[in-house]
Amino acid sequence: MDPTSRPAVVIDNGTGYTKMGFAGNVEPCFILPTVVAANESFLSQPKSSLKGSWAAQHNAGVAADMDFFIGDEALAKSRSSSTYNLRYPIDHGQVEDWDAMERYWQQCVFNYLRCDPEDHYFLLTESPLTPPESREYTGEILFETFNVPGLYIAVNSVLALAAGYTTSKCEMTGVVVDVGDGATRVVPVAEGYVIGSCIRTVPIAGKDVSLFIQQLMRERGENIPPEDSFDVARKVKEMYCYTCSDIVKEFNKHDKEPGKYIKQWKGVKPKTGAPYTCDVGYERFLGPEVFFNPEIYSNDYTTSLPAVIDKCIQSAPIDTRRALYKNIVLSGGSTMFKDFGRRLQRDLKKIVDARVLANNARTGGEITSQPVEVNVVSHPVQKFAVWFGGSVLSSTPEFFASCRTKEEYEECGASICRTNPVFKGMY
Amino acid sequence: MVYHSSFVEEEGITKACGCPLLPLKSHIKGPAPVSEQGIFISKIIFESSKQKFIFMFVCFIYADKTDIVDEAITFFRANVFFTNFPIKSPADKLLIYLTFYINVALKRLEGCRTLAVGTKAIINLGLEEVSVPGETGFPFPGLFSLPSSQEEADLFRNYLKQVREETSGRLLSVAYRANGTPNKWWLAFAKRKFINVVLL
Repeated sequence: MDPTSRPAVVIDNGTGYTKMGFAGNVEPCFILPTVVAANESFLSQPKSSLKGSWAAQHNAGVAADMDFFIGDEALAKSRSSSTYNLRYPIDHGQVEDWDAMERYWQQCVFNYLRCDPEDHYFLLTESPLTPPESREYTGEILFETFNVPGLYIAVNSVLALAAGYTTSKCEMTGVVVDVGDGATRVVPVAEGYVIGSCIRTVPIAGKDVSLFIQQLMRERGENIPPEDSFDVARKVKEMYCYTCSDIVKEFNKHDKEPGKYIKQWKGVKPKTGAPYTCDVGYERFLGPEVFFNPEIYSNDYTTSLPAVIDKCIQSAPIDTRRALYKNIVLSGGSTMFKDFGRRLQRDLKKIVDARVLANNARTGGEITSQPVEVNVVSHPVQKFAVWFGGSVLSSTPEFFASCRTKEEYEECGASICRTNPVFKGMY
Repeated sequence: MVYHSSFVEEEGITKACGCPLLPLKSHIKGPAPVSEQGIFISKIIFESSKQKFIFMFVCFIYADKTDIVDEAITFFRANVFFTNFPIKSPADKLLIYLTFYINVALKRLEGCRTLAVGTKAIINLGLEEVSVPGETGFPFPGLFSLPSSQEEADLFRNYLKQVREETSGRLLSVAYRANGTPNKWWLAFAKRKFINVVLL
């Protein structure tokens, strides 16, 4: 059966979550945490005596190395029994543990997506600035273990840009602000190619917002069972947080109308099963404020996100800058706060306008430049914008021609996977 | 960024230790000037042929003007999160001192379950020694300039006492609800450390 007639499999592996599904769909089939829980009881025995390790492996079961879970099941299993160790294969966007990554992909393809890898082309994603060797390893694993007919490894920022395509506008130049769970990256892309030297990383991400909310709730003495407090903070963040325009005004609003702003969180204690409620108040707007005023959370890092974006664009080649300001695309789960794009645009415009004014004043008002248009693009699929871009691009006919095929791999070896040509998606 | 004071004008305001002694809407005695925009006295004298009726209308209209204490309380919950405070005007120095004082006061109120117990704790805090810049107990060693004379030091000390009392009073009205129970949305900030300065 011709694999090009079947939809490609799109898997976006992130540090926190993996989104997987088939090309042509609007949303991924599964969004799972990127974690593997493996039964490693036979590995912990000392390797000194051969007999001992054989017995231990036998005790662990015949297929002990096949006994692993991924995603939410992994988290649940590791909590309930101690034979399973959690492993996070991806750290800060790079694959660190290839064994765990291979197992993860195994479960994805066979257990979740339930497709035959030999029948589908694959689109995987990677962070910008990954070393080419890791693309080689990925290619090796997919071609040898899974026997895929074709593979394309895309840079996730370019896919996020593709998510903003409409039939009339296909901009391949823009800045991708990817605020994920593990790290935040600002990546400028010009004509489909990432400008590597201008990439900026911000150490504040979704996990830090959850930690901050957890800290605030603990300071106030809300009665949340301590083993659950991080989980509750994360859910509160996803359900109730929003971006405000001004902290003091927001505090006043909360004081004046507590009934409208203070929400209740109802939970169930895990050990006893008893229900409890707690109040959710000003952490609703202080959480996302961490991106705009990182000082309130961490002493080490004090540059706000709009300032980082501005610095990034200013370090890019001068002829791309206006185009970059015009197309700032948000992607990642932590950009889903209400009004995040508006606040970002407002703050960035302030910085840019101040600089333009200063420049005009310096020339004595004789030379005035055209105002710089700052445009932050939000769209409904921000949460998995990278996956959606992958789905869009891999459903175009040019995709199959740009993939690396199995024949090429067998002919030239794994090194062909190092390069993946940029192809015009929807033009 | 932090919220700065709006009292940037320095004309006509006496200074002590480099800090303007800003007017307060206060009934407490002390060296602070009363908030001038507040008092409006109008006198109407009514004369008739047979009797002189003197009606004196003395209206004290406190226009809805905020003073430095109001600013400190409104900005407290936002400013307390920050560890760096760039100073834009000398009034900011007073704002920093008041923000720190509110933090200390909230710490004293941490265990107090009712308004009465809280008031007692605050009164105890007010009876303690108020140190001026140059003395060892002052929390921000480099912030204010040293007093040049004993009178200046005493003037500043009395001003600080007055402004602290005024702040405590207004703080109690927000930190406790109408029925006397503590307001957890304020008392949670007792655990925060403003600019990482901790005074025992």
